[in-house]
Amino acid sequence: MLLSGSRFYSRRLLIRNHFQRATFATATSQNHRYIKDNWEAIIGIEVHAQINSNTKLFSDTPTSFNDLVNTNISTIDAAFPGVQPTLNGRCVELAVKTALALDSKVQSLSTFDRKHYFYPDLPQGYQITQQREPIARGGSISLTQLDGLDEPIKVGIEQLQLEQDTGKSMHDMRPGFTLLDLNRAGTGLMEIVTKPDMRSSHEAGLLVKKLQAILRSVGSSKANMEEGSMRCDVNVSVHKIGEPFGTRCELKNLNSVRFLSMAIDAEIKRQIIAIEQGEIIESETRGYDVSSDKTFKLRGKESALDYRFMPEPDLPPLILSSDYIESVGSTLPELPDQCRTRIMEQYELSLTDANVLLNESGSLVFYEKVCIGRNPRFVVNWTLHELFGQLASRSIPFQENPISEQQMGSLLDLIQNGTITGPTGKSVLKVMLEERSNEMPMKIVESKGWARMGDSEKLKTLCENLISQHVEKAETIRNGEPKMYNWFIGQLMRETKGLADPTELNNALCNALGCKLEDMTSAPAGGSAIKKTKKSKGKKGM
Amino acid sequence: MGPLDGMLMGIKDNFCTSTLPTTCGSVMLKGFTSPYDATVVKLLEASGAILIGKTNMDEFGMGSANVYSDSGVVQHPFTCEKDVKEEDRRVAGGSSGGSAAAVGMKMCTAALGSDTGGSVRLPASYCGVVGFKPSYGRCSRNGLVAYANSLDTVGILSGTVKQASVVYDAISKHDPKDPSSMPDKLRSKLDESDSILRSQWTKGNLKGLVVGIPQEYYVDPMSDDVVDVWRSGIQFLKEQGATIQSISLPHTHLALPAYYIIALAEASSNLARYDGVRFGKLKGQGEGWCDMMLYADTRAEGFGAEVQRRILLGTHVLTAGTFDTLFLPAQKARRLIQADFDQVFYQHNALYESSVEQEGQESTKVHVILTPSAISSAPRMTDVLERHESSNDVKAVDAYMNDVMTVPASLAGLPAITVPFGKSAVDGYPIGLQLMAQYGHDGFLLSIANSLAKKQK
Repeated sequence: MLLSGSRFYSRRLLIRNHFQRATFATATSQNHRYIKDNWEAIIGIEVHAQINSNTKLFSDTPTSFNDLVNTNISTIDAAFPGVQPTLNGRCVELAVKTALALDSKVQSLSTFDRKHYFYPDLPQGYQITQQREPIARGGSISLTQLDGLDEPIKVGIEQLQLEQDTGKSMHDMRPGFTLLDLNRAGTGLMEIVTKPDMRSSHEAGLLVKKLQAILRSVGSSKANMEEGSMRCDVNVSVHKIGEPFGTRCELKNLNSVRFLSMAIDAEIKRQIIAIEQGEIIESETRGYDVSSDKTFKLRGKESALDYRFMPEPDLPPLILSSDYIESVGSTLPELPDQCRTRIMEQYELSLTDANVLLNESGSLVFYEKVCIGRNPRFVVNWTLHELFGQLASRSIPFQENPISEQQMGSLLDLIQNGTITGPTGKSVLKVMLEERSNEMPMKIVESKGWARMGDSEKLKTLCENLISQHVEKAETIRNGEPKMYNWFIGQLMRETKGLADPTELNNALCNALGCKLEDMTSAPAGGSAIKKTKKSKGKKGM
Repeated sequence: MGPLDGMLMGIKDNFCTSTLPTTCGSVMLKGFTSPYDATVVKLLEASGAILIGKTNMDEFGMGSANVYSDSGVVQHPFTCEKDVKEEDRRVAGGSSGGSAAAVGMKMCTAALGSDTGGSVRLPASYCGVVGFKPSYGRCSRNGLVAYANSLDTVGILSGTVKQASVVYDAISKHDPKDPSSMPDKLRSKLDESDSILRSQWTKGNLKGLVVGIPQEYYVDPMSDDVVDVWRSGIQFLKEQGATIQSISLPHTHLALPAYYIIALAEASSNLARYDGVRFGKLKGQGEGWCDMMLYADTRAEGFGAEVQRRILLGTHVLTAGTFDTLFLPAQKARRLIQADFDQVFYQHNALYESSVEQEGQESTKVHVILTPSAISSAPRMTDVLERHESSNDVKAVDAYMNDVMTVPASLAGLPAITVPFGKSAVDGYPIGLQLMAQYGHDGFLLSIANSLAKKQK
């Protein structure tokens, strides 16, 4: 229970924090690059994206995520005496594809190096990487208003290189022990280093999202930060505009875009406060603590290891012909930006809808297939809103959607040509999801007897029967009181199990009553009544 | 019946075998059994050879006298055969001392060794047996515990050149698991050039063969008895019709330093994996043990003094700063040494599209090069051990001088072979002569070696 005094105090704190945030925080201010007092943040990102190949970079052991520990290792991954690396061509192909998608120059000659340090999850005592002569140099990623920026920016890429991932160390899972899982050791990584072209956490977050979209569309990485298939380290420094760049700190262990942005803001704030108080920024590696919204020191960079880079003597230089590079380039899919522009035009989609389709892996292909020969707006409603909604409520990611394009298309046709009503359509969708049925919607409709009741004779009879059973109620309507109308509709919906086309039903009832629909629907309950009955139908259905 | 059927063979203990331990002469791998077999071991078994055991060696291939082994010092074959007094006993040479001595004592017909800077050719010379180092890439290194990847070569020790040839035929195959294995296309191209050359000379008639004698190999520390054997080798070839040609390989003096810089750098890297965690034993988890020193005790106890010395030197060479002043220049020197050979051989080096052809100096081109394999006969054990036991690192490094004859061929990846040719006039111990040919011409080299070996001991 808060005393009014402390409540006042905490409210002041809230306001002050908010105010401070507004002056520091670059995520929320209108001009995303502006901080305060001429301070500017310089941000660069180092991305390690796991290559989505079946086997590891230098051995033919399967790659995996969360498999039983130490089940996917070979003598090569475990660095046994006498073993040698052999380069996985698929990893090269995916790296080249990615480089082309990033507008990076693929090098016709690249080499491999050994980067030495001792750590239990690095079995060889060195990591094979491409420090000196990487597979691609240069490139850029553009962020525009369509991505959510006020002003477009271009973030430069330094280079893209192939390297090995380490195993996983788990400390203190068993007290006093470090447990090693080498399943991941040797998995291929693409290290993508950006130039320090970002000036705010907002830009950094968008850059990461854009890169994820590109990697996923190329198919070279799952690029999932939470699962670890993409790791981002951020370099942050601050300086006053006009003065030289400041000392940078590296932020690590950020496992979501949101935490990444928050960490950047916290670090910018820390550095500015420190400098203003006359302190010197030490080059450090820092982590981010969500609960305190602060960064903390992980290890000092001044005691950084000398990696003693040495050319990998077992592997010859990688030589890529221009023919090879061209042929890989020809397999490039449409990239996110081009795609977005095209589908917004072609299907008249809103930016939001377009972004959803692009971000949900597999959904765009699905959508476009279903759109063939059908009305795109109609399809959008049923896929983005209905299908996605039903998937989400069951926590099924779109990749595991059991409904095929054929099933979906057929369902939409049935609704469009009146075989079933909209509400029935939703039920069929539900059935297909829950029962993971391969059956075409028509079969389901038939087996459940859900065909729309459009027979006007039948409806007429139904109405007349109902009216004759409730004469007084009908009279009130005829006398100009539309209140009971919805009750009749409700009853009829129940009797027809919602299979009657609403429009037809309304017409039939009005005819039977001898009144006009406009008079009935002038009552506000007109629309909501139908909704109510839908709900009650749903309840009955359960 | 396989081509090697019934041939008894020893296997140097740095080749992985799944049925016998693979210790590399080191405490670090004591009792270690490899889960897989080296490719060349599999090829030998498939050809019908009988592998009788693993032979002793200098730890991890590092040494030239075979005194650096957890299994003890390898004795020269004469020690047993001639019942030599303790103070006169000689070493077998290293690092493939065990293999050389086993063949020398006729425990087996042939043995596998590994030659990084002379580790097959040197002990072969000391023990009076044939020691063949094929061109780099001819035989698969998969399963050969790496010392220095860009120099390591599978080698063969045997009683006669013919035996070495037969073993070589069985194991010189392309291996896709070894990324440095000579590709089939290049292999066929070289085989063609090789057989054309080979067909030009038959046994006993070497007319038209030009044998190069490089003046830079006549070094100060070379003992007189070695020079004598060299001279008689030259005379012998002359008598068979060969032309003797004095040549210059001007960058030879860079070979020893370049070799030790490159080899030790690669070695320090290759030995980083020995930490006792995934195989071997992890030591020192008692008092005072902490994260930063996780491997220190294991490696301090597991590696012998010479290996530790080489790892430290190799690490130093790769340190930021010294990389540019030591490692890079050594690699450049290596290219110069290789170019020296390319200038003097008639045959073009197939590894290069267009080698730098010497301008119109046909008169100094040769088919093969003849030098001694070592600068002395087998050293006395007491001398070697005294150096080994002294904590004076400088003295220990003096031993590196023994490799001066063999290292250039290693740097250039050339095929080279020790043929037992004579005995020391001073102590009666064997002295071998080394023949070298252009890259890839292994068959040709073996046939010329066979001619040289006609001389009876």
